[in-house]
Amino acid sequence: MAAPGVLESDFSSAVTLLKNLQEQVMAVTAHVQALTKRVQAGAYPTEKGLSFLEVKDQLLLMYLMDLSHLILNKASGGSLQGHAAVLRLVEIRTVLEKLRPLDQKLKYQIDKLVKTAVTGSLSENDPLRFKPHPSNMMSKLSSDEEEEGEAEDGQSEASGKKSTKSKKYVPPRLVPVHYDETEAEREKKRLERAKRRALSSSVIRELKEQYSDAPEEIRDARHPHVTRQSQEDQHRINYEESMMVRLSVSKREKGRRKRAHVMSSQLHSLTHFSDISALTGGAAHLDEDQNPIKKRKKILKKGRKKKGFRRRR
Amino acid sequence: MVIDVLHPRKVTVPKTEIREKLAKIYKATPEVIFMFGFRTYFGGDKTIGFGMIYDSLDYVKKNETKHRLARHGLYEEKRALRKQQKEHKNRKKKFRGTAKANVGVGKK
Repeated sequence: MAAPGVLESDFSSAVTLLKNLQEQVMAVTAHVQALTKRVQAGAYPTEKGLSFLEVKDQLLLMYLMDLSHLILNKASGGSLQGHAAVLRLVEIRTVLEKLRPLDQKLKYQIDKLVKTAVTGSLSENDPLRFKPHPSNMMSKLSSDEEEEGEAEDGQSEASGKKSTKSKKYVPPRLVPVHYDETEAEREKKRLERAKRRALSSSVIRELKEQYSDAPEEIRDARHPHVTRQSQEDQHRINYEESMMVRLSVSKREKGRRKRAHVMSSQLHSLTHFSDISALTGGAAHLDEDQNPIKKRKKILKKGRKKKGFRRRR
Repeated sequence: MVIDVLHPRKVTVPKTEIREKLAKIYKATPEVIFMFGFRTYFGGDKTIGFGMIYDSLDYVKKNETKHRLARHGLYEEKRALRKQQKEHKNRKKKFRGTAKANVGVGKK
């Protein structure tokens, strides 16, 4: 037993604490009774909710019941030794701990659902916002424009593309390789390339068609230079539209484009045949009006780099 | 945004008209709509350009580039006359390094 002096000071603090306790208990009881009344009146329907959250609800309620039972027991002087409620409490506690990582994983979804329920619309970064909207195809100009009988369609596409990407470091794809190619190997490679080009020339192709049994295919085949140029044009257009800038066209590009356009619109291929000397073994000869064979050397001038746009060939 | 304008059998649509149309579609005033980079494709009929719609004129003044603001009359670039600029440049040529910055100041 403690000394009588300590007992007296404890006595007064104990009395105040007990009074506090009584007030708080009354407040809590009132609160709980109000809640139970509302639950019984059906103010919180949970059939369409997440079952995970419902399980958590029930577990927490059982925990509370067991805890209050034990407190009652302790308050009326009994001991907690080997009480069955203690074991139940421990079990429920472990289950709740195990549920916590699941809770973390679902946190994002639950937040999104709650936000949608509260604000009634999707947030800006939601990927669901970027689905196609066929309603955008209809002209939104009001009916007072219909009196003009012209086919004036001012259609606008709102591309909600985000231009920010994650800042993860991506290492470059080019890996330096040791160069030890001899002159003979280079000659051989050149010959192989010429052979492949000759095989796909129009003369050889027509010979193949003549002697093969396969049915004749008629295709909308454009000149190979044209398709290369059209691919580059497409790449340029994509870059311009995604970055919202206009790139300038250098003289070389203009020349290439013009040549590609000219080649597709003339009857050039009627009289000019590509060189098949790689297959026939003769010397490489050219038609008079074609340019002489030039080895294309790429001399990169200083400052020619356009950041981000240069295509790796 | 990217703006696709289809105008068959007509000349390239002027930007003022496109502004009006955009204002109607997106329920904004024409003052906060800025457009640039319009290119008409070969053969006519289709023009593609870029445009931006701001929330208010304050944002416009803060975020838009100077030359585009100047096109709408919201910004005046102060430039000395061409002759003065050239004279200033020639005076600067007599000095090297940070002394170049003091040339005009000393003169005043």
